[in-house]
Amino acid sequence: MSDLYLSHIRNWFWKSPPAEWFMRGAKEVLIGTLKQGPIPKHVAFEMDGNRRFAKNHKIETIEGHHLGFEALARVLEICYKSGVKVVTVYAFSIENFNRPRGEVKGLMALAKVKLEQLVQHGELLDRYGACIRVLGERDLIPDDVLPFVDRAVEMTKHNKDAVLNICFPYTSRAEMTSAIKATIDEFTSPSQPAKPPFSQTRITQKIRSNYSKRTESLDSIREASPDAGAKSDVDDSMSSTTALDPESPTLESTTTKPRRFPNPENITADTINSHTYTAECPPLDIFIRTSNVTRLSDFMLWQCHENTHIFFLKCFWPEFDLWHFVPVLLEWQWRQKKLLEKELSRK
Amino acid sequence: MSFISKDTQIYREDEKSGHKKLRPEQREELLKNYLPAPPSRQRSSSRARKQGSSRLGVRRFLKAQLYALLYLFIHAIFSLYIRTRGAYRAVSSRLISILKHHYNSPEYIARDVATLSRLPNHLSIILTLENGGRGDALEKLVNEVSEVAAWCAAAGIPTLSVYEKTGVLKRYMTQTHRSVCHRLKIWFGKHQVPALALFARGAPTIRSHSRQGLDLILVSEDDGREAMVDLTRVLTEMVQKEKIAAEDITMDVIDNELSEAVMSEPDLLISFEPYVDLQGYPPWAIRLTEIHCAPDNQGVGYQLFLQALRKYAQATFKLGK
Repeated sequence: MSDLYLSHIRNWFWKSPPAEWFMRGAKEVLIGTLKQGPIPKHVAFEMDGNRRFAKNHKIETIEGHHLGFEALARVLEICYKSGVKVVTVYAFSIENFNRPRGEVKGLMALAKVKLEQLVQHGELLDRYGACIRVLGERDLIPDDVLPFVDRAVEMTKHNKDAVLNICFPYTSRAEMTSAIKATIDEFTSPSQPAKPPFSQTRITQKIRSNYSKRTESLDSIREASPDAGAKSDVDDSMSSTTALDPESPTLESTTTKPRRFPNPENITADTINSHTYTAECPPLDIFIRTSNVTRLSDFMLWQCHENTHIFFLKCFWPEFDLWHFVPVLLEWQWRQKKLLEKELSRK
Repeated sequence: MSFISKDTQIYREDEKSGHKKLRPEQREELLKNYLPAPPSRQRSSSRARKQGSSRLGVRRFLKAQLYALLYLFIHAIFSLYIRTRGAYRAVSSRLISILKHHYNSPEYIARDVATLSRLPNHLSIILTLENGGRGDALEKLVNEVSEVAAWCAAAGIPTLSVYEKTGVLKRYMTQTHRSVCHRLKIWFGKHQVPALALFARGAPTIRSHSRQGLDLILVSEDDGREAMVDLTRVLTEMVQKEKIAAEDITMDVIDNELSEAVMSEPDLLISFEPYVDLQGYPPWAIRLTEIHCAPDNQGVGYQLFLQALRKYAQATFKLGK
């Protein structure tokens, strides 16, 4: 009984205006302080634990999701105030469609209402200068939600200061698959994407002209015609034989049928990367997963693989607040400092 | 900052009533106090009004000084905290590893894992080559691989994959195989030594006997994004030559190919680093892998291995449900 009484007093104290005013000030100062150090450019959140939180507090599952949304709003504010450029959140996995129908419906309704409100208050959003992007399988978004998604994305498109990526029906493997497929499409479409910087035709021509110059100086008879066979550089790998002198057998190549496709050897990790949903975003600096689950669970696999600091936190997502984020940020800043020192000492 | 309690209450009541209680204008009113000042043009005027007394920016200067000072202070404290934590953990893990040593005996390890409800089928570890490979770094690495391989064989884990960024082990596959076999022989004795098969992408498999035993897969940075690039190249070429249609390439196809060529999805990944650092680990494979890493951990230790197995046994898999 006394416990209950105490918690009431505690609640009353923290909710009294002076205490709230003080806490607000303290948070402001804390964020201003942390901004003095390096700030991650891209942070990803896997918002896990809404349902377990609801279960622990004996409230409806969907209530848990609503509280989770409040936490998201809190986190976004903290992130943008401290200068994080891109925040990516995992809102809904493709696998989540396997959940009970009522819950999926509730989640979709939540998304719909929130996006609708967002659209209503468009000019307020501009104050943050944030643009919203929805990443994932568009086809899987229910028809009644889709127009709101499009409206919200369209309305905030012009904002450049900050980005909020909402992964909504998303899995990382689906993303990687679509990136691979897009790369294949790029390299199997007959149109030429870009001219290679160095042209083999040009090189052979130059060498040939050098040859002919030399022979010219020796014999001063032969007339070189370097421009005669000036072929277009469209064929990227093999030069056509017409441009070559019959006297230079070393340079001669067999006539190949002109290739319509770009060379697949030109595909690099960057090519695939440019086809992922996060192509324009800076590399992922921090990955945070709540509720003490230590798996990536099909989120940001491609992006996480390098130089990303992964943090698994014990708290449930609805509880997540500045007090959970600050230690993460501090530790990240500390590690950045250590890495910098290491690099300097190596040089 | 986040809502004060009164506003939170208003917000939640509105939410409960299905957003009928507040009109859009009222909601806007509710938010106004929390929004940052409107950007660009309007900002300068509002600031001039607010800070009329400090036109020279004294207040801002003092604020910046305060922030800088606080930053140094907080980081000094945090640094102290992290070092203390690191020292404490190093000492305690040292003590535990002395008290609960496995004495290189398979029976001891088998007894340790006997109480676990399940074991991973495929365990993966991340190791690092120290000092850029100078000195006896390679020997140390091979030693660590053999050590973990012996633990796996004793615990009854059939597959172990070792990720090492530079891929130096792949260049010394026969030596690695010999060294691991030697270690297993010491542990299990000449007659009960389990067979060892050593795999690496694009290299012939080295097997000791035909009997069932431990599968050891060597993985490096090239098997991560690069492997996916290679696969994309192959697929592109096939589509270009019209051997397959682009529409037929599905997640299944890619998954099958990558798990055959590189490795299947590990069940448990242990990082022996002080913090989770994937270092370019194959992105495709680690979808649902349980990642274990003890903060501030230094070096490869049996206690961490056991801890990870215990945690894995307790973890629940829901697959989005």
